[in-house]
Amino acid sequence: MILADNITKYFGAFKAVDSVSFEIGRGEIVGFLGRNGAGKTTLMRMLTGYLPTSEGKVIIDGKDMSKNPLSIKRNIGYLPENPPLYSNMTVKDYLKFAARLKDITPKQILACVDRVIEECRLEDSRGKIISTLSKGYKQRVGIAQAIINEPEIIILDEPTSGLDPVQISHIRDLIGTLEHKRTVIVSTHILSEIEQIAKRVMIIKDGRIVKDDSLENILCSDNRKDIFIKVAGKEELIEKAIRQADGFKQINIDIVQDDVYLVQAENKNNILNYNDLLQKLVDNGAKVLEIKQKKGSLEEEFLRINRLKL
Amino acid sequence: MRKILDIAKKELSSYFRTPIAYIVLIVAAIVFNMFFFIIVDNSQEASLRDVFKVMEFLFVFIVPILTMKVFAEEKATGTMEFLMTTPTTNNQIVLGKYLGSLAFFGLMVAPTGVYYLILEIFSSPDRATILTGYLGILIEGAFFISVGIMCSSWSKNQIVSAILSYSILFMLYFSLSFIKYFSGIAEQIIRYTNIMSHSENFLVGLITVSDLIYFISGILFCLVITRVSIDKRI
Repeated sequence: MILADNITKYFGAFKAVDSVSFEIGRGEIVGFLGRNGAGKTTLMRMLTGYLPTSEGKVIIDGKDMSKNPLSIKRNIGYLPENPPLYSNMTVKDYLKFAARLKDITPKQILACVDRVIEECRLEDSRGKIISTLSKGYKQRVGIAQAIINEPEIIILDEPTSGLDPVQISHIRDLIGTLEHKRTVIVSTHILSEIEQIAKRVMIIKDGRIVKDDSLENILCSDNRKDIFIKVAGKEELIEKAIRQADGFKQINIDIVQDDVYLVQAENKNNILNYNDLLQKLVDNGAKVLEIKQKKGSLEEEFLRINRLKL
Repeated sequence: MRKILDIAKKELSSYFRTPIAYIVLIVAAIVFNMFFFIIVDNSQEASLRDVFKVMEFLFVFIVPILTMKVFAEEKATGTMEFLMTTPTTNNQIVLGKYLGSLAFFGLMVAPTGVYYLILEIFSSPDRATILTGYLGILIEGAFFISVGIMCSSWSKNQIVSAILSYSILFMLYFSLSFIKYFSGIAEQIIRYTNIMSHSENFLVGLITVSDLIYFISGILFCLVITRVSIDKRI
């Protein structure tokens, strides 16, 4: 569906995007993560055809963006970081204008406007001047213009920035409804949001994609196979059992109550196997009350890649 | 063509969403009316030639105010990104915006048609001269607008784009005042590029190929430069 083939973008001598390649399939929801200035927006602008690439190609559905920009743009809905709104127009007039520019036939324009007004919950704002709307409503109008022509690809740059939790939740729901029907690319700084929206994450740093994996794999990557065991028994015997267990190393032990401890252990192997550990604990007279794997967070992975301390 | 008209319609209506359009229309109407009555009363001529001269002089000052926002505002608010990511060509964007501004200019000139009616009722005016005078004013205005739009495409800041427009229009309009300081080829260039050298013929009832080429090529040149600066995302 979307193929970025070794794309690079220079602004003067500065390389904003550096030899980026990836493929995104139909119906995928992909999150772009990166610090400010990492190159997310430039990358999105090249995918939408707003910026030409300095090197490489953007291929959408087998068509080269540089050769077929109009037919490709018909299939892309784009919400830039700042919603591109004409502040003196009414919501309805703006959406009608967007519909006309997106090649919707005059007969269908009103139906399309009504549909996105309903989908984006803008019913009570349709006649209002855009400049009088709150930030959340403006964002909804921006999303409405992006989806008015029911594009196959939707690219949203920071769609929830500056919104309150209720508005964020609504926009997240809206994006959720697009899953499987549309290919969606979302960029955001809010890592928890990506965890809830995207199924695949690309972490961008200094114009390069440094991680491109499914969210599940990132959250369960090798470096986060710590486990927590709540166990009843004698402390010295518990410590001995963990030392004897194949592939585990004790990191910490805290007393929860009399003879009940919470042990944090690191799994040194790639494959999690608790059998030996459990057997050793039982052999040492301990009773396992609870065992759970520490789940990684996207935030940890993001910060690790960007070499920042938590 | 439909998209060019859609953009032109949006551009024209955007003028009326701010007080500037109303102020410009009212001020222009008052000044034109005032000069029309003063000129006709003093000269006792059934001609609009001097009124047209006042109009072209005022347009040098008014047009940059009208056109400063055309691209600068779109760039500053981010709507340029919206326009350019829709299936719309850059030519359609430039022409649509140009036509919208031209339509507003037409609205500014249209009420002056009353002057012709007044002259027709109370005297026997030279219709051909008035017609060529209007053609001259319209083509000159179209050129001014293309200069203004070109300058607007060079900056995100409306004030900067207005200053650039004023600089170019002043240079082209008042350059004959400095002709005595130049000689040879420089003098010839200044004479040819001066707007008044080409607008005068229209006001006396003459339509020359040279004048038409000057204005039409000037308009095309500015629109092509506008298109290039949009392409380059300047």
